[in-house]
Amino acid sequence: MNRKIAFKTLGCRLNKYETEALASEFIRKGYELVPFHQKADAYVINTCTVTNQSDRKSRYEISRAARRNPSSAVIVTGCMANSAKEQLEKQGNITYVVDNEHKHAVFSLLEAHFRGETARPDTFEKDIFGFGVAGQTFHTRSFVKIQDGCDNFCTFCIIPFVRGRAASRPAQEILHNVQQVVGLGFREVVLTGVNIGRYHFEGVRFEQLIEKILELPGDFRLRISSMEPEGFTDHFFGLFSHPKLTPHLHLCLQSGSDPVLLRMRRMYTVAQFMEIIHKIRRLHPGFNFTTDIMVGFPGETDKDFEQTCRVVREAGFSHVHTFKYSVREGTRAARMEDQIPEKVKTARSEIIRAISRENRLAYLRSWIGKEQTVLTEKIRSKTGSGYGEHYIPVEIDLPGIKQNEFYRVVLTELQQRKVPVLTGKSV
Amino acid sequence: MNSLHNTLVSRIQAKVIGVTHLTQNAFILRMERNGMEFRAGQYVTIGFPGQVTRREYSIYSGEQDDFLEILALGVPEGSFSRQLQQIKPGASLMVEGPFGYFTLSENDPAKETFVFIATGTGISPFHSFVRTCPGLDYRLLHGIPTINDAYMAQDYDAERYTACTSRDRSGKFYGRVTDYLKQHDPVPQAGYYFCGNSRMIHDAMDILTEKGIDPAQFQAEVYY
Repeated sequence: MNRKIAFKTLGCRLNKYETEALASEFIRKGYELVPFHQKADAYVINTCTVTNQSDRKSRYEISRAARRNPSSAVIVTGCMANSAKEQLEKQGNITYVVDNEHKHAVFSLLEAHFRGETARPDTFEKDIFGFGVAGQTFHTRSFVKIQDGCDNFCTFCIIPFVRGRAASRPAQEILHNVQQVVGLGFREVVLTGVNIGRYHFEGVRFEQLIEKILELPGDFRLRISSMEPEGFTDHFFGLFSHPKLTPHLHLCLQSGSDPVLLRMRRMYTVAQFMEIIHKIRRLHPGFNFTTDIMVGFPGETDKDFEQTCRVVREAGFSHVHTFKYSVREGTRAARMEDQIPEKVKTARSEIIRAISRENRLAYLRSWIGKEQTVLTEKIRSKTGSGYGEHYIPVEIDLPGIKQNEFYRVVLTELQQRKVPVLTGKSV
Repeated sequence: MNSLHNTLVSRIQAKVIGVTHLTQNAFILRMERNGMEFRAGQYVTIGFPGQVTRREYSIYSGEQDDFLEILALGVPEGSFSRQLQQIKPGASLMVEGPFGYFTLSENDPAKETFVFIATGTGISPFHSFVRTCPGLDYRLLHGIPTINDAYMAQDYDAERYTACTSRDRSGKFYGRVTDYLKQHDPVPQAGYYFCGNSRMIHDAMDILTEKGIDPAQFQAEVYY
């Protein structure tokens, strides 16, 4: 009987990609992937430590796994395995603590464990890009890791201390990886990393990498996931004219107040951020911007927050990933004065979420009567759902509709459900 | 292939070579460099061996120096900085870096003009710039409480260095650096570099923008 393995992923997209790559390797080698709440021979918890709350969640999932099947192997990896390695190793309920540098070796480690060998994670080579192809993923899009780590040291962020310094994957490896996933049938490739705009390997910078990927043959499209608003050039903006590059960016703003951005140690001003938005929209009308906003950063005044609200409206972000600042020990912001009461943070995040909802509806409405190419992700009866190139959710009623196909549709109606969606008619 | 070798960042254990106490709180820590490469203006993180806590410090020494220096301030409420202030030569520190993008332009800096604006220990990266590029055309505004806080002012060309003292008239200019900027015409084509207190940086940027300086000429390194 096949061994059973279960994964739990906390935190960022990069963690999700790495879990998918690991899970794919286990499946390829004959393991059965089971839900985390079921009994398994091994549990892998890919942890996050970005906030104190993430730490608590990670610890909770570790205990849950250990309780479920006391004879199973419990592997803790991810950022918490870097930040609290010694502490975790002292816990009796964890079999292996695997830091991010050795995460790629989880399969080999477990194989050795099941063979009865004494295995140690640090006997494997350190390689932050050593993951196999995420072929058997939980999604129809395939993530491709191009970069890891960050040197920005934003004052609220622990990432540079746990993910390490910025490092870029060799361009040839990335191109090969994209070809592999396109060859496996994936129609959308999403680039991922911690700070992908800082990609730089042996003279190849981010925009050159994008150009090289766009030149690859195959019927696929390329999505840039989350980026910091820095280092853009006019040439980069022009790349969005390429039919394979999707006109959507998740551009992290964090705050619409310059004094707050400075205290966060962000590398841009609001004016510079807005200049990027305006430049791209002038070239590519209808371009979709989504963002992250952190409310309640130490010292954030009502005036600062009002400025953030104004910028969120003006930029017309179709989605705002809103989160409340939470103290992360070890960061500079944790030592700052004027910490904001939790009640104020909650109220502010509700306001941003409300603006985000208004923006979203307005943006989706602006697409009625226009066309999109939708990649179908799910099929239910004769209804297919997926996303257009602008990252617009669309449902299509079409007999015989298939998963993982491109459909050119005209958008006819906005359905205002809990998660609003546009209706598309095949053209 | 292990792509960690992609960057020049390194993590070294460095012995403290010397500690120069400049004021009751400010001190320069000189450490072994152990081959660490950096560009003037970058910073390192420093921690004590076996401890998790690390702090970022701009590099104070020049690119050509065979040692590494930081300028630090022991603050009463800061246990880390106090511990660092009491360190003795021969003790070891963990140094990781360099990090950051607060560097002079990759064009020939000798052909450009710079205005450096600092508060307190924010003068560190500018010290590294000046030490690294001897012929640099710069003006340095240093916001400090009194002239006693003008750390190693003799390292700068006296005509280029302006101590802006806010607590007394001991400096060349009485008032904050922002007052100085309000009262003087800016250098139109200069590269403006700010380092130190975020409030000062924000206000100084506002003043200069109002006076017609393009924000594209600004670079900032925020300390707190």
